[in-house]
Amino acid sequence: MVAPQQAREVRTAQLSAQERERILKPYLPKTNQGATHQQRHKQRIRPVIRRTIHSLLFAIIHLIFSIYIRIRQAYHAVLGQLLAVLYYHHRTPELIKRDVSGLTKVPKHLSLILDRRESLLDDVCESAAWSACAGVSMLSIYEKTGILKHSLPHLHRRIERTMTSYYGNSPNKPSISLRAPHLPSYSPPTSPDPSINGHDGVSSQRPHLTILLIDASDGRQTLVDLTKTLAEMSQHGKLSPSDISSKLIDAEITESVMGEPDLLILFGAKIVLEGYPPWQARLTEIYHVQDHAGGVGYHVFLRALRKYGQAEFRVGR
Amino acid sequence: MATLHSGSLQRWLLSLPPVEYALQQVRELLIGSLKCGPIPQHIAFIMDGNRRWARTHHVETVEGHHMGFEALAKVLEVCYKSGVEYVTIYAFSIENFKRSKYEVDGLMDMAKTKLVQMSQHGELFDRYGAAVRILGDRSLVRDDVLEQVDKAVEMTKDNGSAVLNVCFPYTGREEIVHSIRETVKDYSSAPPEKRKEKRPFSETHIQRNIRKGSQLESLAEEQEMPAEPPVAETASMPSSDAENTSVSEQDLDSSSHLAHPPSSQTSLSPSPDLQPSSRLDLYAQKKSSSRSKSPHLPDPENISAETLTRNTYINCPPPELLIRTSGVNRLSDFMLWQVHENTECKFIDCLWPEFNLWKFLPALVEWQWSQKKAMNGNGGERAKAA
Repeated sequence: MVAPQQAREVRTAQLSAQERERILKPYLPKTNQGATHQQRHKQRIRPVIRRTIHSLLFAIIHLIFSIYIRIRQAYHAVLGQLLAVLYYHHRTPELIKRDVSGLTKVPKHLSLILDRRESLLDDVCESAAWSACAGVSMLSIYEKTGILKHSLPHLHRRIERTMTSYYGNSPNKPSISLRAPHLPSYSPPTSPDPSINGHDGVSSQRPHLTILLIDASDGRQTLVDLTKTLAEMSQHGKLSPSDISSKLIDAEITESVMGEPDLLILFGAKIVLEGYPPWQARLTEIYHVQDHAGGVGYHVFLRALRKYGQAEFRVGR
Repeated sequence: MATLHSGSLQRWLLSLPPVEYALQQVRELLIGSLKCGPIPQHIAFIMDGNRRWARTHHVETVEGHHMGFEALAKVLEVCYKSGVEYVTIYAFSIENFKRSKYEVDGLMDMAKTKLVQMSQHGELFDRYGAAVRILGDRSLVRDDVLEQVDKAVEMTKDNGSAVLNVCFPYTGREEIVHSIRETVKDYSSAPPEKRKEKRPFSETHIQRNIRKGSQLESLAEEQEMPAEPPVAETASMPSSDAENTSVSEQDLDSSSHLAHPPSSQTSLSPSPDLQPSSRLDLYAQKKSSSRSKSPHLPDPENISAETLTRNTYINCPPPELLIRTSGVNRLSDFMLWQVHENTECKFIDCLWPEFNLWKFLPALVEWQWSQKKAMNGNGGERAKAA
């Protein structure tokens, strides 16, 4: 087993520095030294020809590539449509539960990046319902501009309504609490407290979903604010710079914003984090569907959970 | 072993001089034509999969890392030839120290060997004009490796056309912590002297003039700064009346006293070891001396995201493209601060030792394509809608 490595070491050891340079020479970019008259003439003509060839080739490459990418996009669009038909939730929690039943693990903390568009509120409500059905206990929704944070009670009412459309008035209907960093948590005022009517044990089993709304200011700006506080403390002599550790910052950030999500789903065509909190994105599994243009779809959500749960994704059941 | 030799015929074919020459020409041609379009200024690579490659090919882990290094050399050549200015590679994570000692030592030895070779071929490296920068927590690296690191950095530091950032014991979180710590340090010590030296005016002089003017006019302003006038006069004298003098003396005559604020600080506190408490005293006294803010310490409110960016290890614009091999869809603690905004991440399903021009080009072309689409955005949207 060790033989090739040793052989390689022997080989490299045998070559002196000069020999290595000699081997490398032909691969290096050319220098412009020692050009004779004839070569100088060539130097005027050749670059022109080369540039023409290059731009021609560039055009050809991009032509082929754009054909390829259109085909790929079409393929992904068809596949997406097909999956959207095959895997539809029909607003039935049991169906969603069955879809995720074969998974080895379901993320405890799921995170989504949503775009600001007309259906944003619906997207939030629907994804909250799917998450609740799939057994996710913490859902953080990132929307860059922070428009979602404007009215927590309103959003809570909408989510509650969507949940009712999924669960009806079943006792298993999860309770929802909605919060945003630096804003007071909005807990359901209508939801019964488990301690009050825990008589039949059903309400104590009632699942709970915490929804956290975050925006661009909870990323860098939070870290900047933390630095300001730390700097002030240091100026007052309450802290020495050597006290600042990863642990301290993690504790602070986790408390003021959130912990690390297990899975992050993007509904865009490519992976761009758009200012998602950097500290938390450390080990998060990032999922997106290539060339996806269909917005927040249940099949994307399901595929993400399946990828996370290491399950094979089969077309058809 | 078998898998290593099974490709030997193919390799023999590829290494025939005419074939090799033709391939080289094709590569040059492709790179040259790609240069006609937009090229990312900064590309970051997470070189993942060396160990898995070694495992699937039944060779030693260290051998996998060697192959990974060769793949890196090829990719770097493509990058620099096509005009990328900054390349950042994730060479070694702080977490990797948790691996077996044998492997860590092997990696360190490899880094050292490569760096020694690099310093032997100084002028060859210069021809690409790449400067090497090592980013990360240096305190974790062995001394003999560190020596070679410094040598390589020193040797290439004058190269201006391209930069190779090697993240070597690095994690993104550690970088953020480092940046915060440096910022806090900056803001809890006096600002550098040079900023004040540039100006030809002395604050003491100005204040003296104000005082003269105010004495001539009326005595109304004196109530607003009661402590200063006598202090300014005694500024050159040895501090006769205790703490208050030396404190506001610092306040006033900062340009001349900046060089030794610690000494005046220790003269205040009974025990110089108790730094925080003495600084606390100092601050309390400053507050009591009718000033709410000390002019010595910069205002923490001025800290912004740019301040933190300036204090990170990576001193260049954020990457446009992040490429991670081996099909793992995580950032794994790499460049969190730089990558979380507009960087496009690409997770490529191949192991790093197998990564080469042919795997890299599609990613680059796709980036160019989306860049072009973004530029004439309306046209692209309409085409998509149609």
